[in-house]
Amino acid sequence: MTADRSMVAGKQEGEKPELDPGPILEVDHLIMNYRTKDGYVSAVQDVSFTIGRGESLGLVGESGCGKTSIAMSLMRLLPDNAEIQAGKIVLDGDNLLELSDEEMRRRRWNDIAMIFQGAMNSWNPVYRVGDQIREAIDLHWEEKPTVAVANARIAELFELVGLDPAMMDRYPHEFSGGMKQRAVIAMALSCDPKIIIADEPTTALDVIVQEQVLEELRSIQHEFGMSIIYISHDIAVIAEITDHLGVMYAGKLVEHGLTEDVFARPRHPYAWLLLSSTPSVTGPRLNLNPLEGEPPDLLHPPTGCRFHPRCPFATDQCAAEEPPMEEIEPGHLVACWNYEQVPEMKAESA
Amino acid sequence: MVRYLTIRLLQMFVLFLVFLTILFFLINAQPGDISAQFVGNPDIPPEAKQILRERLGLDQPLFAQYLFYIRNVLTLNLGVSFDHYPRTVADILLTALPRTLYLFGIATLLSYIVGFQTGKMVAWRRGSAAETGTMVTSIILYTVFYPWFAILMLWFFGSQLNWFPLGKFLTPAQWFDAPYTANQVFNTMLLSMFLAGAGVALVVWGTGKFVAEPVPRTRARRILFALIAISMLAFWLISPMSRYAADIAYHTVLPVTTLTLVFYAAITLLTRSSMLETLREDYIFTARAKGVPEKVIRDRHAARNAMLPVTTSFVLAIAFIIGGGIVTESIFSWPGLGLTLLNAVNVEDLPVAMGALAFIGLLALFAHLVADVLYAFLDPRIRVQG
Ligand SMILES: Nc1ncnc2c1ncn2[C@@H]1O[C@H](COP(=O)(O)OP(=O)(O)OP(=O)(O)O)[C@@H](O)[C@H]1O
Ligand code: SF4
Ligand SMILES: [Mg+2]
Repeated sequence: MTADRSMVAGKQEGEKPELDPGPILEVDHLIMNYRTKDGYVSAVQDVSFTIGRGESLGLVGESGCGKTSIAMSLMRLLPDNAEIQAGKIVLDGDNLLELSDEEMRRRRWNDIAMIFQGAMNSWNPVYRVGDQIREAIDLHWEEKPTVAVANARIAELFELVGLDPAMMDRYPHEFSGGMKQRAVIAMALSCDPKIIIADEPTTALDVIVQEQVLEELRSIQHEFGMSIIYISHDIAVIAEITDHLGVMYAGKLVEHGLTEDVFARPRHPYAWLLLSSTPSVTGPRLNLNPLEGEPPDLLHPPTGCRFHPRCPFATDQCAAEEPPMEEIEPGHLVACWNYEQVPEMKAESA
Repeated sequence: MVRYLTIRLLQMFVLFLVFLTILFFLINAQPGDISAQFVGNPDIPPEAKQILRERLGLDQPLFAQYLFYIRNVLTLNLGVSFDHYPRTVADILLTALPRTLYLFGIATLLSYIVGFQTGKMVAWRRGSAAETGTMVTSIILYTVFYPWFAILMLWFFGSQLNWFPLGKFLTPAQWFDAPYTANQVFNTMLLSMFLAGAGVALVVWGTGKFVAEPVPRTRARRILFALIAISMLAFWLISPMSRYAADIAYHTVLPVTTLTLVFYAAITLLTRSSMLETLREDYIFTARAKGVPEKVIRDRHAARNAMLPVTTSFVLAIAFIIGGGIVTESIFSWPGLGLTLLNAVNVEDLPVAMGALAFIGLLALFAHLVADVLYAFLDPRIRVQG
């Protein structure tokens, strides 16, 4: 085994790795539309954010707001009808959108791996789970390892995610949902990616398993010092495991900052409504929909601020002009004309 | 796997008995007495009639006859042909069986291999001109009235172009002073094909089991495959039989091609739709995200899974294949089970007809078994549970 692959062994649990300066990922004014027979679906509208090395970013927002679309843009795995209109995705210095297909293929999993929304079906039913992980290793390790070395690595990863290493010789149908999801995490780690995108990695699991998997994911992330983008519509989950938080609405990133800042003082009306309907981070999750009115139609997104039809603070300006992303305190960005009017969080008892 | 096989074989046996029962009572439900058919036949000497009557138990009640019949079939004691007296039915059928196996075997194998590859490529290049062309051809071939198509092939390649003989199994003139019977040559051909096939299977299995690293495994396979091919070639080059084998092979081209074309069209259509399904699966997306090259995604991930429904369909297609086989044999005068059955029915050679039907039933069950085993082999979800 090469030295750089054995990060697991060297590091102390819980110890935060040294952070290099400079972000690992920089998304810059990304615009992505889906072409449909009725027109363009504006799924990602002018989204910018950065993630530092070893940091984690949570992306929240209601269903259909474009979270998965961002994830797929980062992987460059969009469906055929998707068009990236503008923007940059800079991963560790290179703009992914400028790479050839072949170069991008080599980056996938090696630099940027993914834990999928529908991870239950993400295993090919006819191959052993270990062999499917080995496929990634064979493709991406600088020096293609022998089967024995690769298997040793997979066994190590299995232990790390709480699976019996003997399971690597089993087929996917012999795994329970939670085990499959753990194995997916093991596979995501197999090539030491710089960043992992976890798109609703636990939605298909029951609550107890969800907690365990999340906990493991977080401790692994700390241990490996990799960056992670964690996508969910469950804001309470995200708050527990990420240090930065982005709130999306209708294809736009509307608020972005340290998780604790956004939680303590959400400045965007949508974030504020979302958070005040979540009674407590640790308490029971009530997935109330605090919003009145229709969810936005991204074929014909509202003018100006996309939230204005449902916003209690909306003014005439909101319907006419799009609010820019503004840094209202260091590292805390909000896109709203009237963020100052958004009150403090309601009391915990609400 | 052993348990799975045992269960399957038992099921097969029971099904075969059911089939024989139905066959027996269907034939007996026909108007007229069986014995009357050959009692009146002047070609059969009286002693033979008496033997037949006793062997078939025709002087017994129907149920006793039935038990007699089952016992006779299971011991391959199928009686004597009325038409080819005194040849036994077993002898006639055992001569015809390999010829049918050969025709079906080659046509099925070829159409599956080529059809699968075509269907795969066509699904992969969805929307291309190649796809449209293949689809149109396949749909025409698949929906065409098969006997008409077979006659057309015979007329065009046999009669118009004169490329191939007009049916039959061999050119009698060439066999005038042959030191072998047609059967000897033909069975040697079959045996060598079977050995080559078994060799390939053995190599795949053995290298898969004993050579862990992929690169030496591929190398070992190539070398061993080459060895098999060379030894086959050497055998047929040296063997004095090859001249006669070539004559038989020449006669097989047209019927095999005709049958293959029709199966091929069906397999292509099936594989294409199955492949389009698998391409939408989540694990294909996983493979892309993993950075697996597109060709590998197509072959190792999509096509491998698309194979499963195609294999299942084989079971459903067995009736079609047998029907097609009988038509092919009769149009190309190919002396297999189908033609034997047809001739026997025409001259009311009841023992041969019933024997041929029993054999065809057995063949269908056997094909079923092969498909089942193959499926279990391809799909770990079945393999492990069994
Ligand atoms: N292939 C596509 N063609 C057209 N529209 C699409 C396509 N994929 C997604 N969309 C639309 O783009 C918008 C964003 O979808 P996306 O899947 O990114 O949302 P999401 O935030 O991940 O939602 P969820 O929480 O339900 O997963 C939605 O309105 C969706 O209907
Ligand atoms: S810009 Fe206006 S409409 Fe949009 S969130 Fe702020 S107040 Fe509401
Ligand atoms: Mg999604």
